Amino acid sequence: MSDRTLRLFVGALAAAGLLVAGYLTYARYSDTTITCSSGGCETVQKSSYATVAGIPVAVLGLVGYAAILATAFVVGDVARAAGAALALGGFAFSMFLLYAQLVPIDAVCDWCVANDVIVTLLVPFTVLRLRR
Amino acid sequence: MKEWLRGPRAVALAGGVAALIAATLVGVSLVSGSDETAAPAPAAALDSAETTQLLKGIPQQGNALGRPDAPVTLADYSDLQCPYCAAWTQEAFPDLVREYVRTGKLRIEFRGLAFLGPESETGLRAALAAGEQGKLWQVVHLLYRNQGPENSGWLTDDTLRQVGASVDGLNVERMLARRAAMTPGLEKAQAAATAAGINGTPSFELGPTGGSLQRVQISSLDAQALRPAINQLLAR
Repeated sequence: MSDRTLRLFVGALAAAGLLVAGYLTYARYSDTTITCSSGGCETVQKSSYATVAGIPVAVLGLVGYAAILATAFVVGDVARAAGAALALGGFAFSMFLLYAQLVPIDAVCDWCVANDVIVTLLVPFTVLRLRR
Repeated sequence: MKEWLRGPRAVALAGGVAALIAATLVGVSLVSGSDETAAPAPAAALDSAETTQLLKGIPQQGNALGRPDAPVTLADYSDLQCPYCAAWTQEAFPDLVREYVRTGKLRIEFRGLAFLGPESETGLRAALAAGEQGKLWQVVHLLYRNQGPENSGWLTDDTLRQVGASVDGLNVERMLARRAAMTPGLEKAQAAATAAGINGTPSFELGPTGGSLQRVQISSLDAQALRPAINQLLAR
């Protein structure tokens, strides 16, 4: 795959992640009940794992996806490395949050799972971009 | 100039930075999370002997106390911040439990309302969440026994942790985490209260289990106010 194709995939995935994180951020600050088929979203959002040092994880996701999206628009080694680092870091932290949902919180939020899928897909594309 | 940032070296760098990001986030999350859970833990447990003894061995399903096949049901419409509810729960409730519930004649449903303010809802959600673990009445009884002035800051997460720690076999963190999922229970009790025309607490409905419950007016906050009506139903 060419760098151009990879950047396209990274950009599309980051945009999708931005939508999910954006919705969760909006729900958090507007006290809106989250549309949630699993019924566990509010439990997850109100748990102690939903913030890191007072910053909602949804906001972290928003910033992370925005940064990855930015790297998709930039050609160059720094952008590639930054994109991969952000995607891998986001992936690892998402897996930790998934574990938190499954074990200590014991409730799963489908929006978080959507995020997990997106961030997991981002890893191969950003890393492939790096190997070129 | 950026030639060095390619291939395996770039992968290693990205991986390293990624590990750093993730480790920082996880570390801070665990530390800030444990702050919330660990700090209030040393708080002294409440004197729960009376509650434990009163409710020991009596089955509970959700908001109901007593055997499911008890012939009579009493619905207790109650707000955790209402002083008269606290008085009723300390005066009438123990006698009713000993005389009727423990003997399998009566089951009592807690229909919690939260019209006195935010702390009512905080407590009610926790009580309903404790109901998932079959411990609603322990939490309710302990909260009433330790009730503070309305919305004065008495009913907080710290209070609930204290109360929870005093209830044998209750997973406190689980109760707290499940509070957000208790909205249907809140709405159900509120709908039942509206349907019954209840606009104050404590209010009671009494009737055959599974049948239609009728409003009962009480003239005092002791068990005697309900005994005749219960006995009448039991005699049927």
